[in-house]
Amino acid sequence: MLLSRRSLTLLAAAGVLPVARAQAQAGRLAGREIRIGAIVPSSGPFAEWGRANAATLRMVEEQVNGAGGVEGAKLKLFIYDDAARPAQAANLVRKLADDDKVLAIAGPLTSSACEVAFPVANQAKLPAISQASSKPGTAAANRPWAFRNTIDEAVLMRSALPFLKTTYKVAKAAVIYDAKDANSVSLGTRIMPEMLAEHGIALANAGNLASFNTGDIDVSAQVTALKGLNPDAVVCAADYSQAVTVIREMRRQGFVKPVIGGTPLISSAILRAAPDMPIISTATYYAGQEGEAAKRFTDAVTPVLRRTAGLPNTIEPSMYDAHMYEIVGIYLDAVRKAGITLADADLEADRGRIRGHLEHLTSYNGLSGPIHFNPDGDAVKTYFVVVGQNGRWTEKLRGCSTAGNLTC
Amino acid sequence: MLLQQVVNGLTLGAVYTLVALGFSLVMGILGVLNLAIAELFMIGGYVGLTLVLADYPLPVAVLAAAGVAAVLGVVVEKVAYQPLRRAPPIAPLLSTLGCSVILQTVAVNIWGSDPLQLPPDLLDMRFDLGQASIGLAQVVIIAVAVLLVAILALLVQRSSVGQALRAIAENRDVARLLGVNAGRLTSAAFAISGALAGIAGVLIGLHYAAITPYVGVETGLKAIAVMVIGGTTSIWGVLLAGPLVGLVEVFSVVHGGAAFRDFAVYGLMILVLLLRPQGLLGGRAAGAQRV
Repeated sequence: MLLSRRSLTLLAAAGVLPVARAQAQAGRLAGREIRIGAIVPSSGPFAEWGRANAATLRMVEEQVNGAGGVEGAKLKLFIYDDAARPAQAANLVRKLADDDKVLAIAGPLTSSACEVAFPVANQAKLPAISQASSKPGTAAANRPWAFRNTIDEAVLMRSALPFLKTTYKVAKAAVIYDAKDANSVSLGTRIMPEMLAEHGIALANAGNLASFNTGDIDVSAQVTALKGLNPDAVVCAADYSQAVTVIREMRRQGFVKPVIGGTPLISSAILRAAPDMPIISTATYYAGQEGEAAKRFTDAVTPVLRRTAGLPNTIEPSMYDAHMYEIVGIYLDAVRKAGITLADADLEADRGRIRGHLEHLTSYNGLSGPIHFNPDGDAVKTYFVVVGQNGRWTEKLRGCSTAGNLTC
Repeated sequence: MLLQQVVNGLTLGAVYTLVALGFSLVMGILGVLNLAIAELFMIGGYVGLTLVLADYPLPVAVLAAAGVAAVLGVVVEKVAYQPLRRAPPIAPLLSTLGCSVILQTVAVNIWGSDPLQLPPDLLDMRFDLGQASIGLAQVVIIAVAVLLVAILALLVQRSSVGQALRAIAENRDVARLLGVNAGRLTSAAFAISGALAGIAGVLIGLHYAAITPYVGVETGLKAIAVMVIGGTTSIWGVLLAGPLVGLVEVFSVVHGGAAFRDFAVYGLMILVLLLRPQGLLGGRAAGAQRV
């Protein structure tokens, strides 16, 4: 995958990756390799996300090395496919730690995979940052080596639900969730019922939440049951590819209501499911996002994704591509600032230095502003409440997942 | 709402019936569980929806889906069944499973893992049934399911091809001595079952207006349950078992959630196997007349 000179310039100018400054300090790490692992689901139900993640990472690798590397060291990425299978993700963490001897890992993508892979990273004393997991407590349960460049869904819903309630006059909502996805189960059965109660919204199907399994094509019975309850809005706790099935069925049954869900709803595919139905979600990046760094990233990565084999030629970068881009940027920031030597004998110490750098990350600017990590290992960063309707996402609110004195 | 759920259950049952037909033909006649049928159903759906999106007429899309799935069915037979015909039964079962994994991977590489979606207003017409309604696509699926079961049953029972297929099922060697071209007819059975799966795929894709590469797995397993409940030696059995499973699934998922639904459907299958191993409409003896 060759990047045009213009793309390289755009990316360097974005300032997310520390290329320009790295060139100025070239030499200290000359001849060495910055070995970073990545676990992405390039096959399986989230293949689109995984393949786009991989293409984004290759772009970053080319950009960094094309600009001379970081202090003379070349970036070498080891990208593996876990097919969104937890056991495979755990095995890959072990392989990256022992065989490839990477400094740190970007991934895995799903909370289900993180729940199994993070303990292995902890055991191997290897920093790992997930690009997508947002099930509450997944990183917190695997401290101190697990991190997530995402925000807890519960934090995000504290902004999204009041917006839903006031904008669409919602007094009663019903829940449907994917019973085979860890993040969706958490969101649908625990977070949302609690949040709805907290915000004075009645749960129409309390005690009998509607559910389906990943891969189901028919949710007509569940939607008929929801329709019978006549809620003002529907909570759909699922990733976008499953949510498309629910939203299409809702529209087919003439049940046109606002749909709210977690970050996995953000995609261009869901906008095509029922363009007239408002879909309320949260994001830390979305295609079309305003802001200099975000726009430059979008401009650079979009053509790369669209010419990547196995991806649609109309694809837009996802939030998780942006997160991957930031994760590599954060690791390179650590290489520059944390006294990393990249010597084989120092591998264990270097991994520890990266972890220390992540815990006290203060000066890294992502695509939407500064990024820090809270004591639970989750990102403190800017997020947006967005509405998807008529083929595009529109930003409605902006917030910060502030923790203590860490702000955006 | 009860009537609407009955409509939902009958439609879902027709979906399973359509896919189960493909399984039933090869299983009932040749005694082979061709697991690749589930993915031929998915491929058929993709081919059909791709052509519909390219503005080809619906009949062309259906015929193309049936044709592609039939050809792939023959490929599966040549690659995964024929070389292993004399091997223990588990061998062709596993080789067709391998084919299904390959077909799914091929679909992901061609069409991606995102759902392939039709415009929301395609086949959007609905008929009012008082407290419930039924869509045009649902009517078509139910009608086609009944029609295809009848055609296939007549084909197997009345036509010379059907008689030859049943002769192969009884005793392949004797059938060959009587002049039956066993190899060609086995290929024909795989082709017909593939075509049926392809037609099911495009109709179901039209009904849900979307399809994903993973649609075959869950639907395929339910279709196998339908075939077993109906009786593996009975084509008509799937027409009884399909709606039964559809209704059980609809009412169990509404009142017990997705986990209870699978418990109910596969529990029903186990119950039928325990009480009537040959299935609801299956013959008692191994060599009982098929249909």
